Amino acid sequence: MSTAPSTAAPSVRRPSRAARLRRALPPWLLLAPALITLGVLLLWPMIRVADLSLQKFRLRHLLRGEREYIVLENYQKILTDDHLWLTVLPNTIGFAAVCVAATMLVGTVVALFLNTLSTPWRIICTTAIMVAWAVPALTGTYIFVWLFDPHSGFVAGVLEWLGLLEADTVNWWNNRWAFYGIAALNVVYHGFPFIAVTILAGLMTVPKELYEAARVDGAGAWRRFASVTVPTMRPIFAVCLILSTIWDFKVFTQIYLMPGGDGSNRSVMNLGVWSYTEAAGQGHYGMGAAIAVLLTALLLVISVVYLRTLLKEDDL
Amino acid sequence: MRGPSPARRILTGFGIAVVLIYALFPFYWMLSTAVDPHADARGAGLLPSGFTLDHFHRVLVEADFLQYVKVSLLVALGTVVASGAIALLAAVAVARFRFRFRSVVLIMVLVVQMVPLEALVIPLFLQAKSLNMLNSLLGLVIVYLAFSLPFAIWNLRGFVAAVPKELEEAAYVDGASWWRMFRSVLLPLVAPGLVATSVFSFITAWNEFIFALTFMTDSSKYPVGVGLRTFFTTNTAEWGAVMAASTIIALPVVVFFVLVQRNLASGLTAGAVKG
Repeated sequence: MSTAPSTAAPSVRRPSRAARLRRALPPWLLLAPALITLGVLLLWPMIRVADLSLQKFRLRHLLRGEREYIVLENYQKILTDDHLWLTVLPNTIGFAAVCVAATMLVGTVVALFLNTLSTPWRIICTTAIMVAWAVPALTGTYIFVWLFDPHSGFVAGVLEWLGLLEADTVNWWNNRWAFYGIAALNVVYHGFPFIAVTILAGLMTVPKELYEAARVDGAGAWRRFASVTVPTMRPIFAVCLILSTIWDFKVFTQIYLMPGGDGSNRSVMNLGVWSYTEAAGQGHYGMGAAIAVLLTALLLVISVVYLRTLLKEDDL
Repeated sequence: MRGPSPARRILTGFGIAVVLIYALFPFYWMLSTAVDPHADARGAGLLPSGFTLDHFHRVLVEADFLQYVKVSLLVALGTVVASGAIALLAAVAVARFRFRFRSVVLIMVLVVQMVPLEALVIPLFLQAKSLNMLNSLLGLVIVYLAFSLPFAIWNLRGFVAAVPKELEEAAYVDGASWWRMFRSVLLPLVAPGLVATSVFSFITAWNEFIFALTFMTDSSKYPVGVGLRTFFTTNTAEWGAVMAASTIIALPVVVFFVLVQRNLASGLTAGAVKG
């Protein structure tokens, strides 16, 4: 604390040690259950996963309670594996980049559109968007798998009706691009409502006078968007961008539940699925932990870069 | 009022149609497949070929999907109760007290939400295995508690902060203890927030998949998400049954969510200013 004598609060008399403790204790007592739960279930496992990543840890190590440290061997194996550089990393990063860009774009356009509607229509559309948001990732994924079912799904049916395709002649799931294209549609569908609703809430707080002033100054619609909306909404855009990046980097359920996504088709693996199948499928817990650490580190780096470039001190 | 030109009105109507179709079509496709007697040969037919409840019969009676629903309900309700209680205490601490490291605690609560669940699945699985907590509903509740807690604290904090301090002080003046004030003043006023937070915790637990898949290997203890996979064989799926089961999973969530979204907004604005 500062050594300079405080000017604002005239100190009456120094409270005794016990009195100070009695005043400081209540918030910590109230916080204790939450902090202990988070510590035991989130923080400790993070430490444990870092520790595991330095070990050769298989089922037999678990059963016998053995530890076999191999330091960086797991990382070395992963980082020299072509599978990481040619398949897993492009799948993870490329997919996240496309999904974030598309989600932000769709979400912003929908929010701008909703902002022009009359109140009843805005409520109807917002409620419809809530439905898209609420459909669980799990069932949403099955719906998209069914829509794109090559045998009798909706898309195959439409393409056949248009004469572009004969049903059952293609299998989209084996093609990496088609697989991730469909996954992206699913993730964007599930992700845009949050962005749209958040940005809409922000848009409704932008003072109308700013737009009027800009209009008086002769600014067109696009110019008003670029010079009034974007600067005043920057913190909200930043938070949306950060959150959707974090979400899209760690998609697991949406990939895992697609045909071949559970690790049986190695060309469509992402970091999350790779880590999970190494650990749960093959029992290479140490290896899986090392991949999980890489994923976490990647997320951390991106979050820090984002926070530093996008958010200013006073935004929080 | 400005009178919108006809061209503008058409454009707006078109935009509304696009938004509604985009937002609702997948959901509609799920519902309509679930009641289609020839679901597996649906193709591009926009309307189902008929109406049947056979798929629901198959799912609920023959496949005993209600057992999975029961497991999920128990786990979700356990999570709601535990996380509601713990988060409320923590929210009161950060909203009502000024203490050292308060902002550190708040930032930590935000940051832990970035931790990828896939990274936690391995250590928590090993831990649960050595504690014999696999296939235990309690084990799953404890894990979900950790996932729903950060958001619940963050959310409740706003509701607690919205209760005017004067109301609390009035209770103290009337001679109430802190606990009495908490029970008779704060709790009733925060109740709408608690409802909204509980629904989100419920949805977190109800929708979770990775931990459910990893922890529950005994088929009588599958939660809904894992149970859904039993309708798939290696190369084929019974789409009518899958969509009927998906409807059973998604419908309560969608209804809850749409209801609470309004509640959340009204709870934030209504406050207790009239006191």
